[in-house]
Amino acid sequence: MSTRFLLTTVAAACALTLPSMAQSRPVTLSTTLKNYGGDGAYLAVYLTDTKGAYVRTLWVAGGKAKFYKHLADWNRLSASDGKRLQGVTGASVGAGRTLKVTAELADALIDAGYELRIDAAAEDMRDSPSEIRMPLSSAQAGKPQAGKQYIQSFTYQLP
Amino acid sequence: MVWRFAHRWLGLVAGTLALVLSVTGMLLALDPLRNAIQAAPTARDMSVATLAQRVQASVPGAEEIRRQPSGAIVVYAFEDGQARALRVAPADGRVLGSYQPSLLPRWVKNLHRTLLLDDPGRVAAAVVALAMLALSVSGLVLLLRRMGGWRHLAGPVRGTLAQRLHVLAGRVVLAVLALSAAAALYMSAATFGLVQLDAAAEPEVASSPNGQASLPTGQLPLLQNLRVQDLRKLNVPAADDPADTWRIVTIQGQGWVDRYSGQTLAWQDATTAQRVHDWALLLHTGDGAWAWAVVLGAMGASIPLFWVTGVLLWWQARRNRPAIEGNSPLAQADSLIFVASESGSTWGFAQALHTALVAAGHRVRTTALEHWRVPPAARHVYVLAATYGEGQAPTHAARALDAIARQPVTSAQVAVLGFGDRQFPAFCAFAEALDQALLAQGWKPLLALERIHQQSAQEFARWGQRLAQALSQPLSLAYQPRLPRTAVLTLVARQDFVGGAGEPAAILRFALPGRDLPRFVAGDLLGIVPPGDQPVPRYYSLASGTRDGFVEICVRRMPGGVCSTYLHGLQPGDHAQAFIRPNPGFALHRSRQPVLLIGAGTGVAPLAGFIRGNVRRRSMHLYYGTRDPARDFYFGEELQAWQAEGRLADLHTTFSRTPDGGGYVQEALRRDATRVRDLLARGAIVRVCGSRPMAHGVTQVLDEILDGLGLSVARLKQRERYAEDLF
Repeated sequence: MSTRFLLTTVAAACALTLPSMAQSRPVTLSTTLKNYGGDGAYLAVYLTDTKGAYVRTLWVAGGKAKFYKHLADWNRLSASDGKRLQGVTGASVGAGRTLKVTAELADALIDAGYELRIDAAAEDMRDSPSEIRMPLSSAQAGKPQAGKQYIQSFTYQLP
Repeated sequence: MVWRFAHRWLGLVAGTLALVLSVTGMLLALDPLRNAIQAAPTARDMSVATLAQRVQASVPGAEEIRRQPSGAIVVYAFEDGQARALRVAPADGRVLGSYQPSLLPRWVKNLHRTLLLDDPGRVAAAVVALAMLALSVSGLVLLLRRMGGWRHLAGPVRGTLAQRLHVLAGRVVLAVLALSAAAALYMSAATFGLVQLDAAAEPEVASSPNGQASLPTGQLPLLQNLRVQDLRKLNVPAADDPADTWRIVTIQGQGWVDRYSGQTLAWQDATTAQRVHDWALLLHTGDGAWAWAVVLGAMGASIPLFWVTGVLLWWQARRNRPAIEGNSPLAQADSLIFVASESGSTWGFAQALHTALVAAGHRVRTTALEHWRVPPAARHVYVLAATYGEGQAPTHAARALDAIARQPVTSAQVAVLGFGDRQFPAFCAFAEALDQALLAQGWKPLLALERIHQQSAQEFARWGQRLAQALSQPLSLAYQPRLPRTAVLTLVARQDFVGGAGEPAAILRFALPGRDLPRFVAGDLLGIVPPGDQPVPRYYSLASGTRDGFVEICVRRMPGGVCSTYLHGLQPGDHAQAFIRPNPGFALHRSRQPVLLIGAGTGVAPLAGFIRGNVRRRSMHLYYGTRDPARDFYFGEELQAWQAEGRLADLHTTFSRTPDGGGYVQEALRRDATRVRDLLARGAIVRVCGSRPMAHGVTQVLDEILDGLGLSVARLKQRERYAEDLF
């Protein structure tokens, strides 16, 4: 794939589950994949707290449940979350393409030791749990980070 | 009926899509072969701990170790910002090279399972798999019907080339196809979440730092206990995550191990669904069993063969079924024609009868036999019935006997006409069963049962004459067979004989016309189309093959014979219209078994052709009867020459009209009983060509001889060792 496609998937991850959140803002997450030479990648974007415990799933790219075990960390951590897929799923992301999603995040989560994580996997290639781990903070916002196997760069923008 | 219908339409519709899956599947079968070649051997019962230790020693930054179904060990590593996939030798951890999942571009696999259409394509592929399963089942049912049950399943297959290829290939790959399709369906069900492969949820586990360093890989008890041959994958805990654990997946299940204590934190057994899925994957892809992958690849190749032969069969049956013109309404018809036809060819005869009866002033209705109903107005009922397999009804008329039994008997008169091939042991058996059932039920006969051999227009016309007598009105049955494309043959030589019975005979040799004539062998038939308004071809057995470089037949002039008279009038340089009709049941197949050839009169022609083509010096023995060496000893000189060259082992001639000539050919066989028995005991193939009375006499003598071997002519026919070409 010589041409680099820019696929923009804007999805409003809606309906926040925490009722006490008075203030929230839309955070735009942008993930560009490498040309890793494989089929579309499955990605799980999720949030963990200061202790590394699972908080919420922000986006899952890839619709076949039988492959979710390859997103090993997310699959394990989010196992008890019955609503982990609700309204936050889309197609798998092709090599070289960019996934852009927007999530409503409470102000209280920012600069509070929370971490954004991405698990990634593609067929016949290695699983890459926690391909990305990035603190959710004003300081990190806008700074790109690369993953090991699949992700060329990941950034998020706080409005 | 329903089986055939389902098989035909599933094959035509889903089979077309299956072509895509078969070609890609064939290509994909290459991967397991490559994987098998690449896989380095693993010592039996080597522990996962040992393997992991070796890998970690030779591949810095190893994060995941996978064992492919082929046994290849693949290591995924991340070092200096570089992700790598490497093949590793399990014996010493040596890096063998980088790992590529497949030889083929990814789109091949995606075309195979999604037709490049994502989920809708996946559904389509699954539907094709379901259709393949249904085709296998319906194919088995049809195969059993055709062959006459499980006992005869392995028996010889007769029919046209397309039929034989379809049936032979079906017999071989049917089970593999069904298995592969069932496996594909299971995999589809898993993909769409209809089958749950995983245990409910993975346990929450984490390594508990105890202030000490991680335990060395070789000391982890679970890894020491598990064998490499059961391994699917092993994940090394991440260096930057102190709480990360070892995770190991094997055929039996998956476990998590504390990196500090080495304790097994959790173990989940593989679900039954997962184990079935592993098997389905093996059966469908052949990965991990290269010999099976070869079988699967061959099966992939067979699908285009099935499709082409299947479409040919459908097309032939369709072309052979004419739309009946001028059908009267059932209630008004005085003549009813019922047809039972497997390939559709009998409909042409029905149309001819229909037209002749209408021309004679009858109101005629022609339908398929299963629609049997005889209203009171009907005076005459004609049943034209072909036979299928070992004497069964054609598929569409399978329940016709029941239908006939349910309907009341009327005062109408019935005539049954059977169609078949004398080479089949159950020649016209279904027509016989119909005739007996009708008579037993109390129907009055119009004509006795008649049997038509190989769609003979002449036999049909003779039956028409008897019918005209029975109806006391003139009737001319002109069956017009659809003629194949003809070629123009040029006569290059003729050898004339006085002939044994008053009429002369000649051996006619034509030049090969080039590409217009398909390939042929001795024993095939040459259809000659005499000039005229309504030409009816006559068939002559060929005494040569394409390899001989000419077309040769032996023709006796028949009193009043249109075609034989025409041929006898030809002089070198003259032309004739002709085509080839293959006669695969009679032509000789290549083998080393001895051959017993028995012929009389002009019937020696195809046998002479066999001997002429016997360049491999197969042991051939000819019993040849004529009347008089001076009048009708066709191929006499050639036969002696061929014997001298070793193409003919021995020649036994009898001359029935000369003193001490030896009588008829069957008498020579009886005199030579010991020698003939010896030949037959050695597995000799028998070919008989000549007149019916001669063949009858030969059968009697051979049955006597075979009795001592516990065999009979009928048994030899069943085993495809005995075939006749009679006139």
